[in-house]
Amino acid sequence: MIWHIAKREIYDNLNSLRFALATVLLFGLMLTNAVVHLREHPARMQKYHDASTELLNRLRSRTDLYDLAQLGPEKFHKKPSPLHFCADGGEVFLPDTIYILISRITNDLNTLWYLSYRYQMPNLKNIRPNTIKVDWGFVIGYVLSLIALLFTFDSISGEREQGTLRLTLANSVSRHTVLIGKFLGALVSISVPFTLAVLMNLLVISTSSDVQVGTDAWSRLGIIFFISLLYLCLFLALGLLVSSRVHQSGASLVILLLMWVSFVVFMPSTLASTASGFSSPMTSEEYWERYEQLYAELGDEYNARLQDTRGVPTKRIELRGEYVSKGTERGERLIHEHLAQQHAQIQLARSVTRISPAALIQHLFESFAGTGFEQHQQFVENVQVYAREFREFVTDMDRADPDSRHIIGVREGMSQKPINSEAIPTFEDTLSLSRDFNAAAVDLLLLILFLAVLLSGAYLAFVRVEV
Amino acid sequence: MLITLIRRELLDNLMTFRFTAAVFIMLLLVVANTFVLIRDYERRLTSYNTAVEKHRQELLETKTYSSVDLILDRPPNPLSIFNLGLDKRLGNTLGVYYLYIPSLWDAGKHGTNNTYLNLFSSIDIVFIFEGVLSLLALVFAYDALAGERERGTLRLVLTHSVSRGQILFAKYISAMTCLLIPLLMCFLLVLIMLTTSTSIFLRTDDFLRIGGVIFTSFAYLSLFYLIGMLISAAIRRTSTALMLSMFVWGFLVLVYPNMILTAIETAPQADTETVAHNQIKQIWDEFDRERMQFLANDPVPEDDWDFGLWGKGYSFWGGRDDSPSLLYYNYSGFHFEELLEESEPQVPHAQNYHRFLGLQITNTSDRTWIVRKPALEALYVQPAKMERMLLKFSPVGLYDSATEAWTGTDLNGLQDFFTAGQRYHQAIVDFFHDKKVFESRQWFTGDKRGVDWNILPQFSFQRSDISINAKRAFPDLFLLLMINLVLFAAIFLVFVKSEV
Repeated sequence: MIWHIAKREIYDNLNSLRFALATVLLFGLMLTNAVVHLREHPARMQKYHDASTELLNRLRSRTDLYDLAQLGPEKFHKKPSPLHFCADGGEVFLPDTIYILISRITNDLNTLWYLSYRYQMPNLKNIRPNTIKVDWGFVIGYVLSLIALLFTFDSISGEREQGTLRLTLANSVSRHTVLIGKFLGALVSISVPFTLAVLMNLLVISTSSDVQVGTDAWSRLGIIFFISLLYLCLFLALGLLVSSRVHQSGASLVILLLMWVSFVVFMPSTLASTASGFSSPMTSEEYWERYEQLYAELGDEYNARLQDTRGVPTKRIELRGEYVSKGTERGERLIHEHLAQQHAQIQLARSVTRISPAALIQHLFESFAGTGFEQHQQFVENVQVYAREFREFVTDMDRADPDSRHIIGVREGMSQKPINSEAIPTFEDTLSLSRDFNAAAVDLLLLILFLAVLLSGAYLAFVRVEV
Repeated sequence: MLITLIRRELLDNLMTFRFTAAVFIMLLLVVANTFVLIRDYERRLTSYNTAVEKHRQELLETKTYSSVDLILDRPPNPLSIFNLGLDKRLGNTLGVYYLYIPSLWDAGKHGTNNTYLNLFSSIDIVFIFEGVLSLLALVFAYDALAGERERGTLRLVLTHSVSRGQILFAKYISAMTCLLIPLLMCFLLVLIMLTTSTSIFLRTDDFLRIGGVIFTSFAYLSLFYLIGMLISAAIRRTSTALMLSMFVWGFLVLVYPNMILTAIETAPQADTETVAHNQIKQIWDEFDRERMQFLANDPVPEDDWDFGLWGKGYSFWGGRDDSPSLLYYNYSGFHFEELLEESEPQVPHAQNYHRFLGLQITNTSDRTWIVRKPALEALYVQPAKMERMLLKFSPVGLYDSATEAWTGTDLNGLQDFFTAGQRYHQAIVDFFHDKKVFESRQWFTGDKRGVDWNILPQFSFQRSDISINAKRAFPDLFLLLMINLVLFAAIFLVFVKSEV
């Protein structure tokens, strides 16, 4: 019986204007998305590839251990995600490179390299109009949700107005059968054009030889598709809930549209702006003040102790080594503190926006597409892990040389042997699906929770309503 | 008769649930976002005030002309609450040196503690109207004619001696009155919130600008109402009319602006950058050759360009090529603070050299600006203008750019500040030449008496006059009104010809 009602709904929908318009809209958007991805992605990959090859060559050309310890790996590039078309994730606002910093303690004493997380201000020179990139996140988060509401706003209130609902219920059909039938009918009639549009999009993208989509990416795409269906269900349930509570279909549409506008369009940004006002991270002025103070103090301390070592070269080398490592460590700690505060502010704002399902789906898409803020944090972590590895490598190389004094950071105190450049560890930005899953678990659970609440709400509302 | 019709329509509309819901949501959104916007503005204003004070302090501590850092700060625009435009985005500090002509692309920024915050888009009042108001207008309009035709009341009305034009007019007037209520309430609320905030100071002409924004919003609202009415007149069934209006809304407001800018690439010509960069480089190379020639011919032939001058805070750089993409190339040379005694004998000679150098550098930077200005225009301004033009095919783009022009947060409004900065740069350079600053002793050392900074020309910037704002907003506003007229005519034609 459920299937019977669903089938009727599907036939009804297939003939309707909204079905045609929705199909055209979805296909148009997905095609744009694919074409733009094909146009932009090869250039992005090429840029990354060139930059990292050049970096690698420079690293490989180093043979002096001291140079290696002081200059380090110079910089780190973020690998562009092959699934960039699923979620843009505000990539232009996130740095794609992490640089290193070498600070001056005194005129003749510099720290070793450390990570500087220097941020870009891409907006500063950008005079172009503000728009959202047409990625899957946009198509599904905004357009598909609106379509879902347009398909369901009159599914119960409309039938009630026409009187056909009473007729249906006069047969031996239980109410929940009707509800589920309507739900399935709407789900199928939207997901068919949606799935076709997605397939067309993937077909266009995968036929091009410039863009490779690997096995890992396909499983991610599967998850993203599944999430989109969940999100679609969420809005269908919302539509059914309002439609069964409100008697006129016009009123139900107004309520739904206003809800959609507030939750999908306004809530994410308003909540984020409000929530980011709660915490105030270290200002950049404050950071520079502390930075200058730190090195001024260290420099004075060093100069004072330098007097004692006059005429004793070994002591002097030891002292230099001590201050180099102190300077490096403290500088890194300070900059890390700055970054951690900034990240915490964003993290807080992002978790508050989870009230909006559109923000939820944006986060989920970003996690699984490997773009956006979540992935940026992962990139920073990867870099930190590599930085440790790199330093260990330098220490190990130094230890292996019995002639060395093992004072890292001073040329005279380190091994003078040329190093095998092939052995230098190299950096590669990687993504791990299990990690992304962990990061996305809360969002996914919330999405399912919202869906469950709305579905049961729709059920209760429909069962108790007078026809 | 017209009055009766209008009254009927008005009551019909006002009593509906959709009206109440719409007003409620609008007010909620506006209040919440105004609160956020005002706080953001206050934060920017504080940051501006701190920066101004800091830069003034730094100037007073400067000892010599050569080490002077004149930094101009751009005040935040209080009307950015209505339309944020580029006000928050673009740089708000501009360094003025004799070495190059400052432009928008040389500006820096203070008050950005966390650049990751850019990830969250900011919402302004106009954005709320763009989305919600247009939706509302369509919801009011979709059944205006189709609904009455379905119910048969239209036929009833027409049996009286009422012309069809009158019916249309009555419907339009009453619905617009209804829609104006939430619009004006929102503006009133924003104004109340603005005036209660102590940090926001609005001038008289600011209220006129807000008036302009309100008028433009009205034209925008009317446009969407007319679109809805056209659909309603052309299509017989209410449900179809509703669907069509919703999809039209989705396309015009949501899909088109984002899709067109994603799809169409407006990159400038590929070699503009390199060509201009090479030209600028050549000009500076030429300057360098003249400089070397001067040094070779001057009384002390085998001197170097620093003349062995040395002292506290002395630094010398050669030609510098910062970021080629912004065509920022300048010969940034000399920075003196306090001279050492041993260098004294060299000073007259260095003064002679710097008299030559000062003139040459300012001339050369003027010449590079002739290349740089059109290049920047082609690289950055043209594509942005092109994109804005494409956006104007949707009423949203027209509305946005018209209100931006009213509030002065559009590119022109911001360029006003940078143009003022360029004028100030010219004034400073003239001052340097008039007072023979380059060859003065205070160029090299601040030993005896430092420089009296109060005699420098003062910088002042006022937002452009309201008439200029109006002039900038006019084309888009005119287009909006014209589209209104065309739509109204179309509705009339469709409605007159249609069978009831």
